[in-house]
Amino acid sequence: MKKLPTFLSKIIKTLLITALAGFAVTFTIYMTNAENKLIYYVIRPLLNKHYNAQVRDRRV
Amino acid sequence: MIMIDGLVQRIDKKLQRFDPLWQAKRGIGGLRSRYNDKTGVAKYREWRGIRDTLYDYGQWMKNLGSMTVMVASAPIPCLKGFWEYRWMGSYLGTFMFIDRLFEGYRGYELRIAHHNMHAIVQSLTKKIALVLSNDKRLGGGPLSDQMIPYDEVLPPLFLKGFKDLIPIPLQTLPEFIICDIDQQLEPYYIDVAESFGLPADVCSRCAAETGVAIDDAFPIIGKAFLTTNMPCNASEATSMFQRRRVGLPDMPVTLAMIHNEPGAHPYSTQMLKDTIAFIEKEYGVTYDWDELFKYAKELNEQNTIELEKWEFMKTPYCALVGIAESLYRLYSWASVNGQDPYFTKTDRKVLKLITKAYDEKYEPFSGKTRHRAFLWGPSAVYYTDFPTWAENCWGINIVLNMDSTMGHNQISTTDPEEAIKDLALLSEKATMRHHAVGGWENVNAIWEWAKNFNCDMVIFNDNVSCKGMNGVHAMMEEQARELGFHFIFLEHDLEDCRTISRRDMRKRISDYMSIVLNEKPLDPTLVDFDDSEAY
Repeated sequence: MKKLPTFLSKIIKTLLITALAGFAVTFTIYMTNAENKLIYYVIRPLLNKHYNAQVRDRRV
Repeated sequence: MIMIDGLVQRIDKKLQRFDPLWQAKRGIGGLRSRYNDKTGVAKYREWRGIRDTLYDYGQWMKNLGSMTVMVASAPIPCLKGFWEYRWMGSYLGTFMFIDRLFEGYRGYELRIAHHNMHAIVQSLTKKIALVLSNDKRLGGGPLSDQMIPYDEVLPPLFLKGFKDLIPIPLQTLPEFIICDIDQQLEPYYIDVAESFGLPADVCSRCAAETGVAIDDAFPIIGKAFLTTNMPCNASEATSMFQRRRVGLPDMPVTLAMIHNEPGAHPYSTQMLKDTIAFIEKEYGVTYDWDELFKYAKELNEQNTIELEKWEFMKTPYCALVGIAESLYRLYSWASVNGQDPYFTKTDRKVLKLITKAYDEKYEPFSGKTRHRAFLWGPSAVYYTDFPTWAENCWGINIVLNMDSTMGHNQISTTDPEEAIKDLALLSEKATMRHHAVGGWENVNAIWEWAKNFNCDMVIFNDNVSCKGMNGVHAMMEEQARELGFHFIFLEHDLEDCRTISRRDMRKRISDYMSIVLNEKPLDPTLVDFDDSEAY
């Protein structure tokens, strides 16, 4: 019976640590505007390169 | 609670030097200080104080969640969509777009703005996943033939009487809404159209739509297509180009333009009846009035709430402001039009917040508003955050936008014959149709609107390629002078940021504010800057 509270407290502790780590990571991304920098400077230029290389049938 | 408040206040005081509004007040920086030149990429996000920053972060997570759900619900179609369509790449700019829209927002106005924005994000992400999963160009899906592609300026509520069919505004995803998010996209499609000899002085919306059609960038969905009429050659031409390229049986839903005349309504009513008959024939389905009434009730409640919101907007204590109001109303009316109950719930929540703020005599933007302006005429789609800039730089509160005044009549939810008449009236008062092209009486209605909303200023959007509106310049200027309104013509090229840039638009306002009114900016970092390479 004593094992249950220990098990529960372990789960709660793990959840709390995960939530805290998740918050730390996502809040850092948010504050540093990291996702927008990645999109603007890396992802979109690569995508644009692909779009510009597309051959499209534009015959009217 | 008191302890937490005290702690928050202490931390806020320590960190206030990072708050751009605090910096602007002391002349040591401002809202533009955190940007890299030209790109519109911020070095870091806006510090709004602990509570507001955490709230904004929470909403960022919520929107991120909606996007994750979109990709998770249709991973392969979404990947194919990104690979196939240039416009899909532009949706990656959504986070930057939302940041731009709500710069300088705090307290109630920030909360209300995010309620409205999330409604749009959750709706749009679902729609993108649905369309890509059933796009015949990408392999099709089980609902491909149950979709009705229709022109985006046609209010879709009347199509909800087809229980098993899904109305999809064809141009919204690849052209209209995405131009709000990324100013760099539409020039590509405009160039495609012009490379075939389409003149460069037509409305850029029409040119962009034509370019999307020629570039085969419209998703292929449905068994028949509903086009519509707008009273300019460019608009009619783009409908013709689209019908040829899309290659589906089509029905031009030509509604009455000068709709104030009594004879117009029976014509528009008959047109809707004919459209219903066309869909019944093409899709082999029967119209269900009870199904329509279910959604009409949603739109009726949304319109009732909208009229309540207007009463608050007439006062200085309305926390629903600027772009948070107009973008939401434009999307919820023109694109959703009663189809999604999430918008009714959002309206109820927002009305509660507006009422609470009003009871507290809360003035948005810390009471720094100097002028109340009515924004008239079709706005530049590539400068959606213009109202935010106007408020932050010069203290001009855009109280209401012309598009927000679209059809707000009630639809009968018991009698089919009455309901179809009500729907015809609603459709006549749709985007652009209602004021910009509905005849002189409707264009000239601005003065009454501005007076009713206690505005001292009118900003008249001037789409330089809109031939119809070019004719009214001098008449509007004369009337503004006579009636005593501050009046600014704001030139733009609707979807082509190369003709008149955002910077040019800002200069127009700044010149008026500094030369004519002799006022000083609230935030000098916003007066002149280059954002030509920004989304």
